[in-house]
Amino acid sequence: MRGSALLFMMAICGLAPIAGVADIKILPGNISLHGRSDRQQIVIERFDAGRASRDVTRQAHSSVGNPAIVKIGTDGCLIPAGDGDTTLTATFGKQMATVRVHVDGIRGVQPVPGFKRDLLPVLTRAGCNAGACHGAAAGKGGLRLSLRGYDPDADYDVLCRQARGRRVTPGSPEQSLVLLKPLMEVPHGGGERLKAQSPETATVRAWIKGGAPAPKPAEPETLLLEVFPESAWMHPGDKQQLAIRAHYSDGSVRDVTRLVKFGVTDAAIATVSDSGNVSVSGRGECAVTVWYASKVTTARIVSPFPGAVPVQPTSTSTSLVDKLVNKKLQELNLPASPIASDNEFIRRVFLDTAGMLPTLSETKQFLADTSADKRAKLIDQLLVRPETVDYWAYRWSDLLLLNSKTIPAESLNSFYGFIRKSVQENKPWDTFVREILTATGSTLENGAAGFYVIHKDPFDLTETTTQAFMGLSMMCAHCHNHPLERWTQKDYYQMANLFARVRLKTGDKPGEVFVLTADRGDIPHPRLGTPLAPRALEQKPLNPEDTADRRLALANWITGAGNPAFARSIVNRIWKNYFARGLVEKEDDIRATNPPVNGELMDAVTGYFVTSGYDIRKLMRLILTSDAYQRSSIPVSAARQDERQYSHYFARRLPAEALLDGISQAVGIPSEFKDLPAGLHASQLKDSQTASYFLTAFGRPLREKTCACERQSEPNVAQALHLVNGDTINARLKAPGGVIDAIIKAKLNLPEAMDQLYLSALCRYPTPAERKTAEAILGNMNGSVSRIVLEDLSWSVLTSREFVFNH
Amino acid sequence: MFRLDADKPVTLCDGITRRDFLHAGSLSAAALGFGLTLPQMLALEAKAEKPKQEMNCIFLFLLGAPSQMDTWDMKPDAPSEIRGPFKPIITNVAGIQISEIFPRMAKHADKYSIIRSAYHTQAAVHDIGHQMMQTGHLFSPGLEYPNFGSALQYLSKSSADVPAHVLMPRPIGPTGGNLPHGQTAGFLGKRYDPFVLNADPSSPEFHVQDLLPPDYIGAVRSERRKKLRDSVDNAVKVFEGSSEAALMDENFHQAFTMMSSPRAREAFDLSSEPKHIREKYGMNKFGQSCLLARRMVERGVRYVTINMFETVFNEITWDIHGSAPFTPIDAYKSLCGPWFDNGYSSLIEELTERGLYKNTIVVASGEFGRTPKINPAGGRDHWPACWSMIMGGGPIKGGQVVGSSDAIGGYPVDRPVSPQDFAATLYTALGVSLESTMPGPSGRPIPVCDYGSRPVTELLS
Repeated sequence: MRGSALLFMMAICGLAPIAGVADIKILPGNISLHGRSDRQQIVIERFDAGRASRDVTRQAHSSVGNPAIVKIGTDGCLIPAGDGDTTLTATFGKQMATVRVHVDGIRGVQPVPGFKRDLLPVLTRAGCNAGACHGAAAGKGGLRLSLRGYDPDADYDVLCRQARGRRVTPGSPEQSLVLLKPLMEVPHGGGERLKAQSPETATVRAWIKGGAPAPKPAEPETLLLEVFPESAWMHPGDKQQLAIRAHYSDGSVRDVTRLVKFGVTDAAIATVSDSGNVSVSGRGECAVTVWYASKVTTARIVSPFPGAVPVQPTSTSTSLVDKLVNKKLQELNLPASPIASDNEFIRRVFLDTAGMLPTLSETKQFLADTSADKRAKLIDQLLVRPETVDYWAYRWSDLLLLNSKTIPAESLNSFYGFIRKSVQENKPWDTFVREILTATGSTLENGAAGFYVIHKDPFDLTETTTQAFMGLSMMCAHCHNHPLERWTQKDYYQMANLFARVRLKTGDKPGEVFVLTADRGDIPHPRLGTPLAPRALEQKPLNPEDTADRRLALANWITGAGNPAFARSIVNRIWKNYFARGLVEKEDDIRATNPPVNGELMDAVTGYFVTSGYDIRKLMRLILTSDAYQRSSIPVSAARQDERQYSHYFARRLPAEALLDGISQAVGIPSEFKDLPAGLHASQLKDSQTASYFLTAFGRPLREKTCACERQSEPNVAQALHLVNGDTINARLKAPGGVIDAIIKAKLNLPEAMDQLYLSALCRYPTPAERKTAEAILGNMNGSVSRIVLEDLSWSVLTSREFVFNH
Repeated sequence: MFRLDADKPVTLCDGITRRDFLHAGSLSAAALGFGLTLPQMLALEAKAEKPKQEMNCIFLFLLGAPSQMDTWDMKPDAPSEIRGPFKPIITNVAGIQISEIFPRMAKHADKYSIIRSAYHTQAAVHDIGHQMMQTGHLFSPGLEYPNFGSALQYLSKSSADVPAHVLMPRPIGPTGGNLPHGQTAGFLGKRYDPFVLNADPSSPEFHVQDLLPPDYIGAVRSERRKKLRDSVDNAVKVFEGSSEAALMDENFHQAFTMMSSPRAREAFDLSSEPKHIREKYGMNKFGQSCLLARRMVERGVRYVTINMFETVFNEITWDIHGSAPFTPIDAYKSLCGPWFDNGYSSLIEELTERGLYKNTIVVASGEFGRTPKINPAGGRDHWPACWSMIMGGGPIKGGQVVGSSDAIGGYPVDRPVSPQDFAATLYTALGVSLESTMPGPSGRPIPVCDYGSRPVTELLS
């Protein structure tokens, strides 16, 4: 009784607000307006148990103490009217909230809007300098602006000095094209971008009237953004207005809700209007991204799943992973699945960690072991197995594109040797990356130098380095400013210049290449014609005259604490390997506008990883020992729809190499790769050029481009046809010397043969139903089993979902 | 209701397909045996709307984006840095001229129309154009729209022994934006993904791999294997929540269906085409894909996508930036033009001869246009503000030019056609109502076309 009463109480707390806990607040809490053109978007929010849960701005009654100081606009904006202090009060039902409002700068001369702080944001928000409009590399209709205003000086020049001054005419602001065009008072290919009565138009007008001042170095920079509310608990059909404030380097704070660019991370859960009004349509968690002046912040929209409050299966777990995964599941009302059986666990952990199945005896031994810590022991043993080293050496060879089309075989082998040895030693990830980025000398003696053979030019190096180690795609910025992100072509060329002095020289031995650095040489920017100072992204430029190896500075920055994307990127790759869904999706797309599905969890796991000294094995152990990893793959009721929050283990098709090795293992017949020693596993291949129809059909990466998208992990019809009819399974079943021959030799009867086949491939015994079906189809349970029957039984196991998937 | 072997009962409604009728017809004896009298059958048939002819579509995706000034919107009077190296030629329709790189196509201008005012307003990223031109929508994170073919398959509920929707030779690979390309079923779920050929039909050893079991596996063993496999698949419940596992089930179902269908095997069997026919299409992956598409449509495939190229890097494509790793402009005359001219012209010739062109829409378009002015590398860069595309077949009227561009091909001057308008045109031509919706994420109905999309009515007869 006690237990169920407690559950009932929990249900109430989680679902419905308890009377008295709810209140309303006016957001933001302290309001200060400066000058006549200033505005403040307000949101009147109902809070239940401390959580923002309903936007009541339109339903609440609001009033100001002194209307001569401030007025409330129809869109929920405060409009200053006179200098002084007053209060804003909102009432909703029995709840009431009051905030103080301060207004100054209304009397007297209004300051002229600044070019960078005031004018450019208006042009950006109106879309004038977007990649599809005047921000395109070639501009549009004769007007070329820098993409989203990254180059204010050039923009000022274009607007005020070119086109014979017709764009901006301070004498008659209304005749300036910069107003006439977006207002559609003259024909404009881009249509109407500004409304005549809007504060944005007023800003442009005031700037022109004030003499169209040029950008000044002293204009305050945007330091950070605040969003109100930061998170909100809502349901499908709800709406929520957001308010955004920017903080500037001069200490000033201002409402920029009307100027920011909004986006959502999952349009299936919520969408957002241009003015920051969020509409919730689905369930789960979605971040609203807010972009302003190259700064990004996010608001969290939580839309819990319906149904009973989740009861956590083993709340005893103290793992930081479990604490944060469970916290999120509770917020979203998602029930977690119970812990998977030993059969499921041993198969899963072998496949995910080492890309192989446990042997028959390993499975039997583990199942028979009764010690409480047998899973932890298995994990520790598994993490240092040679097959685990093979598996991860293969993964990093994917990442580093080991492909004999681009590097001589001898150098490839040497590079692979470096990678495999690093995995074996559990070399800290930052050391590993640093050794690659700063490698010099003979590729045969220092395998890591092969990186510079595979990626020969500074552009390829720039793109690969950022993509592989930071999950950042720079490619677009090679030819023009990145049309979707904030990177400019200048950023790109400055970064590329860090690689400008790498030189290659053919060595004496076959396949040998020497990697050296010169003390001079720069890459000119293609439009400016001159080189720009070498500079890592958003860092201080290096002195171009300095002859030191520029790659040292690059490696320091990439692996340094000031570059959080470095640790996040590798944590996300490893997390994705074990959980099938990255904390960030896509796996190698780490950017502020693509926040993780559980930010706290990402921070905590990354923090753990950095504190551990970039210890990959420790990170894996943290993941593998968590309840979250060890959960059953059967979802509990509502959690069926969960594909992101780890309420259950997400079943996935085996990677090509693990599937091929698994088939070989289960049948006892190894793969044969042309010109390679017999018995080699697919996970031991060094070169993506090794021919294999199976590996190609099941989507192994070609290793031509640094992109996680190279690996295809989805099932398709060609794969189904190959499993059913192809020779990978069928030829092995006919081949002599494997498991089938062994069963025949041992004269096993049908139940014994089934035990062996099922345990080897599925790590479990057949169910009574399966035994019954087999008996009905195959007859005779006692005599020894014929070869044809064994072939068909094996086939049925190896083509089943259960075999092809990890679950 | 008509399909005695269907998984789920088919409700009688306006959406009933012709195939269901045929199916019911072939099973009518059995139906009678189940208690339906012939008059009842006829009455049921009369209640349903008379089925229209099913429309098919072959979409030739011109990956890389052809230059409008060098293909179907020549500017012979513009300065040389605009007009480019090629000359216009006359066609069999008075007043319509196209580029000299398409001599065969020029003889068929009555069979297709040219839209010279296609445009989009998004960023000039290949991937974005791929999305919009193959789904009619710009994607948002978490909301991937279905390819036209997947939507057609979903809305027409067609089920046959051949795949409803085929993509060949291979899906679009990396093109720089790292965004989805609009060639999957998106939110409709992977069971509506196209069947992907994943092979080069011009290769001498081309065949669909593994379409038949090894010869020592006869029907009896095959059946026994399937039954044993079903028993394993039914043993554990771990896949209830996995959409990937559901997809694998669907793949196996499709694989078994194709294996037992002579029609499906014939659809892929290029070796039964005479040599002179194969050569007419061009012995390259695009030409042979066009021939394969004709065989497929003949055998019941509803929608075929042909990617003329797969990536814009280190391959000759329409993406003529002029310098490596992209393509120089001359490649239009040496490769892109001839490949397209032979593949496309042979396709519409043969579809016409075989009576298939009247119910097969053939579309050819890239993802955007190219800059009017030739760049310093001698090429042209990305330009979404204006391009040309080709539509013909089915209810599409031929022999017309729709819309026009300004003197340099920079912007549409009349009848601008957005990807959304194009989508509305294609759906209308395929017989799909623009009011149709599809179940989006969490079951939310999502209209096939964005609000405000209008079909190009002058193309529709």
